[in-house]
This record gives sequence, structure tokens and C-alpha cells, in this order.
Amino acid sequence: MIVGEQKPIKEILNMTAPHHRLLVLGCGTCVKTCFAGGEDEVAALASLLRLASRKDGRSLHIEEFTVERQCEDAFIAEAAEAVARNEAVLSLACGAGVQAVARRFPRFRVLPGVNTTFLGVLEHRGVFTEECSGCGDCQLALFGGVCPFSRCAKKLLNGPCGGSRNGKCEVHADTDCVWHLIIERFTALGRLNDLRTYVPPKNWQPSLSGGPRKLIREDHTL
Amino acid sequence: MSRTFRLFIFYCTRTLENEAEFLPAADPAVEVHAIPMACSSMVKDLFLLKALEAGADAVTVWVCPEGACRHGEGNLRARKRVQRVQSLLDEIDLYGCRLTLFHLGPGDRSSAIKILREISGDLAGLGENPAGIQKDRSKKQGTSNNTS
Ligand code: SF4
Ligand code: SF4
Repeated sequence: MIVGEQKPIKEILNMTAPHHRLLVLGCGTCVKTCFAGGEDEVAALASLLRLASRKDGRSLHIEEFTVERQCEDAFIAEAAEAVARNEAVLSLACGAGVQAVARRFPRFRVLPGVNTTFLGVLEHRGVFTEECSGCGDCQLALFGGVCPFSRCAKKLLNGPCGGSRNGKCEVHADTDCVWHLIIERFTALGRLNDLRTYVPPKNWQPSLSGGPRKLIREDHTL
Repeated sequence: MSRTFRLFIFYCTRTLENEAEFLPAADPAVEVHAIPMACSSMVKDLFLLKALEAGADAVTVWVCPEGACRHGEGNLRARKRVQRVQSLLDEIDLYGCRLTLFHLGPGDRSSAIKILREISGDLAGLGENPAGIQKDRSKKQGTSNNTS
């Protein structure tokens, strides 16, 4: 899932300051799971904004609405009436959702309320970890299903740097050394010999480094 | 008394069974709204913020002692949520100290009454919540305590 966190309230207050009618628009998928932009977070942020504006004697009317996914036009369309009633939209979706909403409503200011952070997994309640960089050429088969591009601080592809301690990375002591995990995984699979295969430097061309990407599924286009 | 403060108490029924145990001891100048919870883990940031929106000048959460939650970790969750809302209130200059959390043992009525008196005393220094909805502050003392 896409993981993000709500922006600091001061930044949100500054961004929204010129507006008197604001739609706080949530997204019920990834950002809901990471407690950044689902229905509950929309309600709490709207409440906090109302408190801040009343305290400052600023007139601000807030409407709350949450769609299933802000990155799909069919769902965004459900917010059209709510958008029309307001001057601006504070989107609590990831950056893709914010842009999709802005594209759909070109005459309205759409502001980001969330810092989109990474592609990750829910490790345990309240803890999310980055596990994929969306490199565009998945090599997980070479590493026993554990990604060193995303999870090794040095992006090493042919074994550990040697600095790990008790299975933890020497760069971030609270993070598992990804090579420790890869070796554990190959041991469990009985495939330690796979580590003898040299992995050449990664071609980052299919990643964002090669510019914005597009995915076209011809069988789904007309 | 020329002014009435408004206090919301979210209390775990593991601490005190019902408001009859502490409401009679509340300062008559303070309008108390007491909200029972089956477990303090039911406290959410939204409820605390909504209480302030509804005109609470102070909000307090009463939970059982650490290690005594019948559901395991309800009071720990409540504490973390209260801390988060406190820091949000500080960030908007509404003062996180409007929101407090206290641990109370089962049936510890005397501590509850002591806490109520402390909060009533603190309210005078803290002043009214400038972000709450307008309330009738000229209400006569002792007539407005109720539950919600
Ligand atoms: S190899 Fe690329 S696509 Fe696969 S998990 Fe790692 S970053 Fe993601
Ligand atoms: S300790 Fe492990 S994860 Fe950290 S930089 Fe070295 S090899 Fe990478």
C-alpha cells in the first residue's frame, strides 16, 4: 500500500488560510489503513481546523467527504457536488489522488493534506515499513523475495556490507539488515547456492530516474 | 458566580461505576458532562476534539491503573491518544493542558473528587476555551450538571 502521514497542522492552516469554504476530502483505501486520510482522519482534522479557526476568529465552513479511492475518476465523481459547494479541496489522499482530483476539477484549488512517503506494508499495528521502491523491473526472484533496492541502506546487491550487528543494519540500528533476511530466507528455502550468482548493477532506467512512467494495458484500452 | 465553565469527563466504568459517585461533589460553577465508557480504549481523538468543539473548557479522561485494564491495554491506548491530542492542541495554541488523563483505582471516589476540585481550580487560570461554541455562561450555579 501507499503509506503517508498527515501534514503538520500549522502547514495545513497556512495553506488553507485564504479560504472560507473548505472540503476535506478523504480516501478510503491506502491512506485510511495508515491512519492518514480515511473517514476518521477527515473527521478529526475537520474538527481540529474548526477549533483553530474559531480560536482565531476566522470564518471557515468545513464540509467532510470521503470517497473509496481518489486515484480513480469513477470514485472522484461522487465528490462533485461537495466540491461545487466549496472554494477549495484539502485532499487527504496520496499525491496521485490529489492530482487526480485536481485534474477532475480544474477550476478548484486542490491542496495536499498528506505527505506521501513510501510503498510499504503494515508490520504490526501502527508500524509501517518501506518494502518497495517501484523500480519498474522487479528482481525479487534473485533475493528470495526480499528487496535490497528498497531495504538496504547501501543498496548492495551481492551480499552484506559486513557491518550488521545481531541482524540489525549498521546504518539504522532499529532496522533489520536486509541481507541477514535474504540469507535466512535462502537458508530456509535450501537455496543458499543462489547467492553465488553475480547480480550486475541495476538498470534504473525503468524507475522514476528515467522520467515519469506510464502503464498501458492495450487489452483494456479502446 | 458569574461564569460557568464546562468540563467533559470520559471515564472507564472500571474506575467508577457511574457519575453519581462524583457528580454531587463537582464545583457548582462547573457544568460537568460525564461520559461512561466500557473501556478507556474507546477514547478516540475525534471524541476529545468534539468535546472541545461543543464548548468544553477542559476535558479529562479517567482510566484504570496501568496493568489493570480488563481488556489488556485499553488505558495505554487511551494515554497515547490523549498525548497526541494534547500535542495537536498545543500546535494550534489551544493549550494541551486543557486535556488531562488520570489513573483511578476501582471505586476510588475520593481521588475522583480531589481531581475534580483540582481541575475546577485550574480552569480559573486556564480561562474559557476560545474555540468552543458559545454557551450561556450566565447560567446559575448548580443547575447545569448533566450527563450526555
Ligand atoms: S525489486 Fe523493484 S519492484 Fe521489486 S520490490 Fe524491489 S523496488 Fe519493488
Ligand atoms: S547492514 Fe545490511 S542492510 Fe545495512 S547497509 Fe549493511 S548490508 Fe545493507
